[in-house]
Amino acid sequence: MPRPAPKPRRSLTPFYVLLGLVLLAGIGVVATQMGSKGGKAANQGVPVTMTPDQLQRVRGITQGREDAPITIYEFADFQCPHCAEFAWKVEPLIRDSLVNTGKARYVFYEFPLAFKWSWLSARSGRCANEQGKFWPYHDLVFARQTDWGFEKDPVDKLAGYAQQAGLDAGKFEECVRSDKYVREVSESAQLAQSLGVQGTPTLFVNGRNIGTPETYKALADKVREIAPAAFGGAAPAAATAPAAATPADSAKTPAAGATTTS
Amino acid sequence: MATEGPVFTDDAGDYADPPMTRMAIAVLALIGILVASYLSLYKLGFIGGLTCTVGSCEQVQASPWAVFLGLPVSIWGLGAYVTMLAVAIIGLQPRFVNARWVAVALTALSAVGVAFSAYLTYIEAFVIEMWCQYCVISAIIVTVIFFLSLPGLRRAR
Repeated sequence: MPRPAPKPRRSLTPFYVLLGLVLLAGIGVVATQMGSKGGKAANQGVPVTMTPDQLQRVRGITQGREDAPITIYEFADFQCPHCAEFAWKVEPLIRDSLVNTGKARYVFYEFPLAFKWSWLSARSGRCANEQGKFWPYHDLVFARQTDWGFEKDPVDKLAGYAQQAGLDAGKFEECVRSDKYVREVSESAQLAQSLGVQGTPTLFVNGRNIGTPETYKALADKVREIAPAAFGGAAPAAATAPAAATPADSAKTPAAGATTTS
Repeated sequence: MATEGPVFTDDAGDYADPPMTRMAIAVLALIGILVASYLSLYKLGFIGGLTCTVGSCEQVQASPWAVFLGLPVSIWGLGAYVTMLAVAIIGLQPRFVNARWVAVALTALSAVGVAFSAYLTYIEAFVIEMWCQYCVISAIIVTVIFFLSLPGLRRAR
């Protein structure tokens, strides 16, 4: 018995056309993405697990002489209003009277809180540091805190400050829009937590937590109390550098980590 | 009669049309190729930053789990999707519409993809605690491919 005539097969041409269209559209999308400046960069940390030894080696951003008798650590958040106030009112005096005179080394550590752009702005500081201009950028970011803090996407404004601070804005923006330095900032935050830092700004003088001095005088009094030698007094035991702290203290004291000096 | 040459039959015992499920697998595999290519280009340094509207793709891509046996996971994904696309297109040709190996290969490849994606999704959810939208899209694609491959497997028995 003869087989029934086969049905005409469905043509594959429309399928190949569809496949070609998907390919073209996809290439277009990928090319557009490649041409864009990048996307939403990290505005949160990554989980880090660190031993006390590793915490000792967490690196902040420094200014001042490496061998200065006083080491001041600041844990701050670029979006915290209190930190901005401290940066305007107290930090210039610290710089003039202690850092530039060789008495103190000043180390900045990020401790991003829960403000909208805490993590992103913290990373941006590292991006500025990459080009060796952290401190002028730091001043501008704190001074303009209310300008960029409420932006939907603050990167353009931050890049503007970077440019004003003498940075290559394009390179800076690429850095901020990537997740570069999220690990460094996460480690810094972890260090803050391990030291029991509760808020920002929190300062340590030679490893001793002095909280937030509201005025330069309050800070200078603490420094004088902790390290009188720096002001010409007798050198007490408390003037030891944090790296030389006793083992019991060492887990509670940031090491002399630094990325730049200016 | 044994002299009639190969006969391609579908469930009705007639000449088989190319299965729609296999066409869908091919289209999905192509989308998978595009997604994996984008991530691979990033991992290989051709893209400065990923455009990620949900989660944080770069943090996931920077994690140790984004590399498997010395190669970025996205490159493994790219290889898997290219193979799936090739097998699906071969499986649409008259000679292979009912070839058992095509059905088995598509199911096996996508099953491995589903298992690997499940592992990566677990890592994202519970270890890194961060999401990469492209990894999630890829996991969905490979899961849909797996389910689309099952009817072919049944038919090729």
